Amino acid sequence: MESGLTSLLSVSIDFETSHLFFPHIINWLMGGLFALILVFKVVPFLAAVRRGEETLPILGESMDKFRFFGSIALIAAYFYLMAVVGNLFPYTGYGFLFVSMAFVFLMSMMYMHTKTKRKVITAVINALVAPGLAWFILAKLFQITLP
Amino acid sequence: MLDILSLLDITFFLLAAMGALIGIIFGAIPGMTATMAVAVCLPLTYALGLHHGLALLLGLYVGGISGGMVPAVLLNIPGTPSSITTTFDGYPMAQKGEGERALRVSVVASVVGGLISAAILFLFAPLLAEFSIKFSYVEKFLIILLALTVIASMSRNMLVGIFSGVLGIWLSLIGTYSVSDGGNGHTRLMFDFLEPYLFEGFSLLPVLIGIFGIATILLEAEKGVKSGLAGKEINIGKGGGFSLGLFKGRLTNLVRSSFIGTFVGMLPGVGGSAASVLAYTQEKNLSRDSSEMGKGAPQGLIASESANNALTGGALIPLLSLGIPGDSTTAVLIGAFTLQGIQVGPLFIPENADTWYVMMTALVFANIVMFFLMFYAIKHIAKVVLVPKYILYPIIVMMCVVGAYAINYGIMFDVWTLLIFGVLGYLIQKVGLEVAPLIIGFILGGQAEVYFVKSLESFGTYSIFFTKSPIAVVLWLLIAASVTFSVVMGLKSRAKGRQEMTQ
Repeated sequence: MESGLTSLLSVSIDFETSHLFFPHIINWLMGGLFALILVFKVVPFLAAVRRGEETLPILGESMDKFRFFGSIALIAAYFYLMAVVGNLFPYTGYGFLFVSMAFVFLMSMMYMHTKTKRKVITAVINALVAPGLAWFILAKLFQITLP
Repeated sequence: MLDILSLLDITFFLLAAMGALIGIIFGAIPGMTATMAVAVCLPLTYALGLHHGLALLLGLYVGGISGGMVPAVLLNIPGTPSSITTTFDGYPMAQKGEGERALRVSVVASVVGGLISAAILFLFAPLLAEFSIKFSYVEKFLIILLALTVIASMSRNMLVGIFSGVLGIWLSLIGTYSVSDGGNGHTRLMFDFLEPYLFEGFSLLPVLIGIFGIATILLEAEKGVKSGLAGKEINIGKGGGFSLGLFKGRLTNLVRSSFIGTFVGMLPGVGGSAASVLAYTQEKNLSRDSSEMGKGAPQGLIASESANNALTGGALIPLLSLGIPGDSTTAVLIGAFTLQGIQVGPLFIPENADTWYVMMTALVFANIVMFFLMFYAIKHIAKVVLVPKYILYPIIVMMCVVGAYAINYGIMFDVWTLLIFGVLGYLIQKVGLEVAPLIIGFILGGQAEVYFVKSLESFGTYSIFFTKSPIAVVLWLLIAASVTFSVVMGLKSRAKGRQEMTQ
């Protein structure tokens, strides 16, 4: 009996596949936990949704679609263009500087609910000063690599 | 000793003070937290040395936790999750025109909490480190297991908490099983075409900045980035009305809450809200007269604010002695250490005694600066609560980019990691998974693998995790205790819920 338990617990790890040993355990653990959550959480929750007591997250909630998807699109464009412009002026950080100015301004405009002349001017000044200052301090004074 | 004094120059103190000020501003703006402050300001530390960088980061940490009291008292909105109980008594006081008095009571409580926890950190962390220095891979693995169990059992739902932690570990395993850790250098958990980008897995800091910076902004964007504060007036009340006499008979409360805060801070992944809620309820249960609490009693403020500031010292204890972050802000600090080439763990304090004393100095100094800034300049600081988000958020995204891009000296994929984990962090929070266990799992996952596999490679049996040493047995008992605690609490709250249903 004793030896049976010992052999059950004994393990040898082949070096060639040792990179998969722990991930395998984690995969199984994650799968098991997911199944438990499915049974104890998701199924009762979906039943409650069907009865109309709960709403689905994200899909069933009201959201500001323009600002949410706008933010994601704007951030993606910001990242992409920063690299493109940065490649035109390598090692200067201009890609960061110029694209950030445009990004900061556009995001400010997107998040502004009522646009007054004063607010827009604040946003413009902010869009020029903030990236400029960040670029100057980081890229010029501290010599940090920027796109 | 002289060596250490030579490390403390004017720049050091200026940076700590600047950190405290910026931290207070971040903390004071609802929707921005101490974690965000540290994450966003990380790029500034790239160019600073280790000690100057730490001064800035610790200042940000202390300031960020303290700043949350400002909107909590003045607007009934907790600026950070940990100041939620400050609203209970702070806002009623502000409505009575005693806003400044409430803030000053909170500031004094905060500084006492911060200093007590710093003292505990100073005494306790070296002891714990010395104790854990003898740990072999087996005990180190069990410590990580314990940390994850504690976080999971503190989650709203243990099953979900554990799953979030395991998901974090899974994410950390993407990439190679590094040769420098004794692995075979093969990649796993990814498609071949991703190998050029993910060979070393996701970098820690872009992941953290994405989850705490970009995801927060997406969550706000979804709600339309309402200013919410338009038309609200800040009524700070008339000056004066504050005297230390308010603390008369409140010393027990002050010290008790500070200890509670420190202790909760030590538990990995348990946030500040748990600390202040626990201290607040304890004061309610134990004080002779709690009838005024919730209607504007200074004792509620004392409990809440001393506990949440005591969190800072507490959370640094496991970080500096075991390498396990005590909360999400210290998780980001781990990133800052790695950046400077320093490994936090049992060897940190003995091998970096200078850095250790410098950190303590920065922590104490940041608390003092925080006190003077908040005590005397609170009227002016209170105004930042009204800075519009359409100005702040674009700047935060921009700073996130700098932080992610510069971390590995200019890799564009790290910037995309921001967006990936920003969206992922958003989804995680929307479907009800927990961020704290996920982050801790992500940070500790790689080490857990190395310790686990190495233990098995050298001993060849799973039973080693139970029989290695008495410490291993104690760790298993602690793991069992934290699971039992969670199950019992779960049953209790369910029974309570049922009782309320029938009534």
